[in-house]
Amino acid sequence: MTNVSKTALRVLGVAAIASLGAAAFTGCASVGGSSAITVGTTDQVVSLDPAAEYDNGSFAIINQVYPFLLNSVQGKAEVTPDIATSASFTSPTEYTVVLKSGLKFANGHDLTASDVKFSFDRVVKIADENGPSSLLWNLDSTEAKDDTTVVFHLKNANDQTFPATLSSPAGPIIDEEVFPADKVLSDEEIAKAHPFAGQYDITSYKKNELVGFKKFDGYNGSLGAAVNSVVNLKYYTDSSNLKLDVQKGNIDVAARSLSATDIESLANDSNVTVHKGPGGEIRYIVFNFDTQPFGAKTAEADAKKALAVRQAVAHIVDRQAISDQVYKGTYTPLYSYVPTGIPGAVEPLKDLYGKGGAPDVDAAKALFQSAGITAPVTLNLQWTPAHYGPSSGDEYALIKSQLEATGLFKVNLQSTEWVTYTDERKKDAYPAYQLGWFPDYSDADNWLTPFFLQGGFLHNHYDNAAVDALITKQGVETDPAARQQEIEAIQLAVAKDLSTVPLLQGSQVVVAGKNVKGVVLDASFKLRFASLTK
Amino acid sequence: MKKTSTTGFFKSPLLRYLAVRFLLIFPTVFILVSMVFFVMRAIGDPITAALGGRLSDEELQKRIHAAGYDRPVWIQYVEYLTQIARGDFGRTISTNQTIGELLGTYGMATVELTVYSVIIALVVGIPLGMIAARYRDTAKDALARLFGILAYATPVFFVGLLLKLVFAVAIPILPVAGRASVGTELLLQTVPSPTGFFLIDALRTGDASLIGDVISHAVLPSLALGLLTAGVFLRLVRTNMIGTLNTDYVDAARSRGVSEYRLVTKHAYRPALIPVITVIGMQIAVLLSGAVLTETTFEWKGLGFELSTFLNARDFVAVQGIVALLAVIVAVTNFIVDVIAALIDPRIKF
Amino acid sequence: MAQFKKRFAGGLLGSMRRSRGVQRGMLITGLTLTGFFMLLALVAPLIAPYGYAQLQDASGYFGAQEPPSAKHLLGTTVGGMDVLSRVIWGSQTALMVIVIAVAMSIFAGVILGLLSGYFGGWVDRVLVVVADAVYAFPSLLLAISLSIVISGGRSGLFTGILATAASITVVFIPQYFRVVRAETLRVKGEAFVESARVIGASHWRIMVRHVFRNATRTLPLILTLNASEAILTLAGLGFLGFGIDPTMGAEWGYDLNRSVADVSAGIWWTSVFPGVSIVLVVLGITLVGESLNDLADPRLRARSSAVLDAEEVAA
Repeated sequence: MTNVSKTALRVLGVAAIASLGAAAFTGCASVGGSSAITVGTTDQVVSLDPAAEYDNGSFAIINQVYPFLLNSVQGKAEVTPDIATSASFTSPTEYTVVLKSGLKFANGHDLTASDVKFSFDRVVKIADENGPSSLLWNLDSTEAKDDTTVVFHLKNANDQTFPATLSSPAGPIIDEEVFPADKVLSDEEIAKAHPFAGQYDITSYKKNELVGFKKFDGYNGSLGAAVNSVVNLKYYTDSSNLKLDVQKGNIDVAARSLSATDIESLANDSNVTVHKGPGGEIRYIVFNFDTQPFGAKTAEADAKKALAVRQAVAHIVDRQAISDQVYKGTYTPLYSYVPTGIPGAVEPLKDLYGKGGAPDVDAAKALFQSAGITAPVTLNLQWTPAHYGPSSGDEYALIKSQLEATGLFKVNLQSTEWVTYTDERKKDAYPAYQLGWFPDYSDADNWLTPFFLQGGFLHNHYDNAAVDALITKQGVETDPAARQQEIEAIQLAVAKDLSTVPLLQGSQVVVAGKNVKGVVLDASFKLRFASLTK
Repeated sequence: MKKTSTTGFFKSPLLRYLAVRFLLIFPTVFILVSMVFFVMRAIGDPITAALGGRLSDEELQKRIHAAGYDRPVWIQYVEYLTQIARGDFGRTISTNQTIGELLGTYGMATVELTVYSVIIALVVGIPLGMIAARYRDTAKDALARLFGILAYATPVFFVGLLLKLVFAVAIPILPVAGRASVGTELLLQTVPSPTGFFLIDALRTGDASLIGDVISHAVLPSLALGLLTAGVFLRLVRTNMIGTLNTDYVDAARSRGVSEYRLVTKHAYRPALIPVITVIGMQIAVLLSGAVLTETTFEWKGLGFELSTFLNARDFVAVQGIVALLAVIVAVTNFIVDVIAALIDPRIKF
Repeated sequence: MAQFKKRFAGGLLGSMRRSRGVQRGMLITGLTLTGFFMLLALVAPLIAPYGYAQLQDASGYFGAQEPPSAKHLLGTTVGGMDVLSRVIWGSQTALMVIVIAVAMSIFAGVILGLLSGYFGGWVDRVLVVVADAVYAFPSLLLAISLSIVISGGRSGLFTGILATAASITVVFIPQYFRVVRAETLRVKGEAFVESARVIGASHWRIMVRHVFRNATRTLPLILTLNASEAILTLAGLGFLGFGIDPTMGAEWGYDLNRSVADVSAGIWWTSVFPGVSIVLVVLGITLVGESLNDLADPRLRARSSAVLDAEEVAA
């Protein structure tokens, strides 16, 4: 429990410092210059149409140009009303949002409750193959009561994640006079029609090459007006070119993604500053409860031995070594399922396995002995190249090396190309395998429900009725304190079962020129252009 | 020469050959398009590629079903053929663009790089080949040939790495990535109806700093790709030049006292260039189909680079569309090359 | 095939004797480089200081991107592996790919080219169209998609090598098919083939004895071209991330791919050594090929040794 409160304190601290920082930056911004800021990224855009995007690259733009009903103000993970004056449950299945009055899009059209209804109806109706429609699984219908009042009718009562959903890729508000109701609009047509009412308007658009943003003066939400007037976003394909350009001052800010080597080398460069913030991205090893060593469908099925194998892995992996050698600190050790920085995160694995975060080989050996396992156990460990970054190969080579050095394991590493990998892992082909996760929104639920509730996307045959009950309960728990306790309890319970062994948490890293101010990296994981000045 | 029927429209065997050769373009393109279609279906669908790590299996299957990717392949194939027969190549799945837009954006970048590198290849390759032939078996010949082989033996991405070591780290005087700097690119977009050929657009603005910026960005990628191609031309010119320098009529000229310099530049030059022309044709086709590695290394966003991105995303529509276009380019170039060869070289039999 | 090998080996010795001056220098340099590379591949397990995927020894982790030192003569990679060891082990991977790819291409390309060129007709037309189509496909992308199809996306050492070799084969068959077919067409029209036909020799006999011998005079060149293309394609695949896993085998292209970020940080040893290895091997093989080509072609042979015989005059 001491651990829990310590973490909670730390979270508070991070939030406080971040919001202080935000305040300070906003303060100096009024003095700030008017010269254009150029941001570089290696992400790629799928679509500017909110109905057809569910990827980081698209959302990075969408987040700057479309308004949201609820959003995280800089420095905070929690969502609060953005272009709304209020948002709350008016009955268990009714979530009511009241818009600010007199809102307009950059093209002059009015932004009313009818646009809001249109936006959500459209995402569900189009259900594009690349779209975020599945995030709105709990939305039954949307009703525009009057010009400024919207009522969301939900299927399940008291859904505590629904407010966060409104700030996710499924939540941008669009102009019903521009977008067709049943068809995706092309980026060029969108850019031409200026259906934007967020902090920025788009002035020039060359997809995946160069996008020009201009401050939108009509934005009247909680995020505040942009302190700069012009931002350019340049797309790179090779992170080393992005690195060279920010180093030489050709661009002001390098956002996602630089390699660990790039970041380490830039940290020693006096012309740029490396900004690091908490990240929501996690990496972990999944165990298939049917096919792992001693798994339920193997010849020598034995649930106790199977658990001992998973626990031994948790005892042995040296997360700090992976973080230092492979990722040079750009990924940090993760001892839980919910990453540090998210309200409700605790670190149960630190207490249960290893010695205070460091590996404990003797504990693993004792575990094997008491479970009656004669070492070495052969473990077929799968990973996939490219999808989780170019360092995956090094990461898994190191894990293999760590496991084998104890004499307890014989590891066969195998990599498979992403598409085949995704298909085969669900067909029980891999006893143990690499996966990662990037959150849809900053609520602890997003790191629990998709993984550990029955019917989740892991398909690893993990089944714990108590965990299921807790996950379902916290989802509708209206008392924040009780919900936090439940979320902590879930993490502890899963940590005992080890459905997956969490390894690393990605940091958000942004590199900016020395003269650039206002870089804020918070637990909303949204990089906002609006606070940047130089 | 084979006996051919002299009845009907094609009285001359040459014309008949050309007609057959022309008609062959269609099956070539058709085979290629079909091949791409089936290869793409064999390596997975775009939805799994994009969202396999985010969605539950149930939701994933629902989307795959809705998009129709789980139907029998031959039904999708017939559908695809009828679609392209109507001239509709569809919208790309991973970037939601039409194939036309795609070509407008990336095609011109590839054309630009091709033009630069072919110029460099010709300017470097042909004279060096002639020199090597003229001074064969001497140190000059050996050096020229060593250059040719090295140009071929060094992978372009390694050249890129070395250039980065030199120009980005040691002496930063030339940009190693991209087609222009951000400011230039923004200004070029304001040119009325931009061609996408950056040098032409820059010339139209008449702004010297823009022109300089565009050219300086083009230097390294053009050199890397141009020298690679120059190596091919050099070997070819040398071999053919030596061949023609040994022919009877050059020997006759030599015995009349014509100087070696004149022999190389006047007498042996033309016949030696015929095979070079055909190879240049083929080489241009290859370059147009996208120098994947060069474009990737130098951040030159052209067709080749995009094609590899789309392949990774399993974007059927984009890959099929681009390859269909490339197939037409290559088939037509092949045809032209064969026609020229047939017209020039009387020894080729039909 | 055996006969071909004998001719090839005999030809090599003969070529050596016939060559002189610059040509001899080229041939010897090429043979030395190629020989050294093959030797390195064969004895890699004996002379490599560490395993290709070794990360730690008794004294702990090697550490990532360590500069060259007594313990690691060429430094360590971004993944913390010994560069020298990976360069040495890489030669083994490269050699395996070359051998498999060359063997497969020769069989398929030469046989198809001969048959197609000699018999002509609709089979010829169909083959030409198919070859054109395959040729028109951007070769590296064809190799990528085929390597996914062939290996099912898995990249063990052997599946990786086989998939790479097979995709290289498919990409290059059309090129060798074209060359051999064109030569066959040319040789077919020569006087000595006509005369063989007049005296009633069978197609088989004409093809094997006359056409094959003459149409494959360029084979050593094709072979070396194929070998060097195979290395370059292997490296290209590795560079684009479709190669062989670092834990399954060492591959120079993969190491170059991982060293891209190192270069802009001024870490040169992770890229220069694997890159130079590729260049030297391709250089060596190509030098051998070029010299053999020179010596086989009377027009290109160094003048004083040009012996013109009846068959070659006809060319």
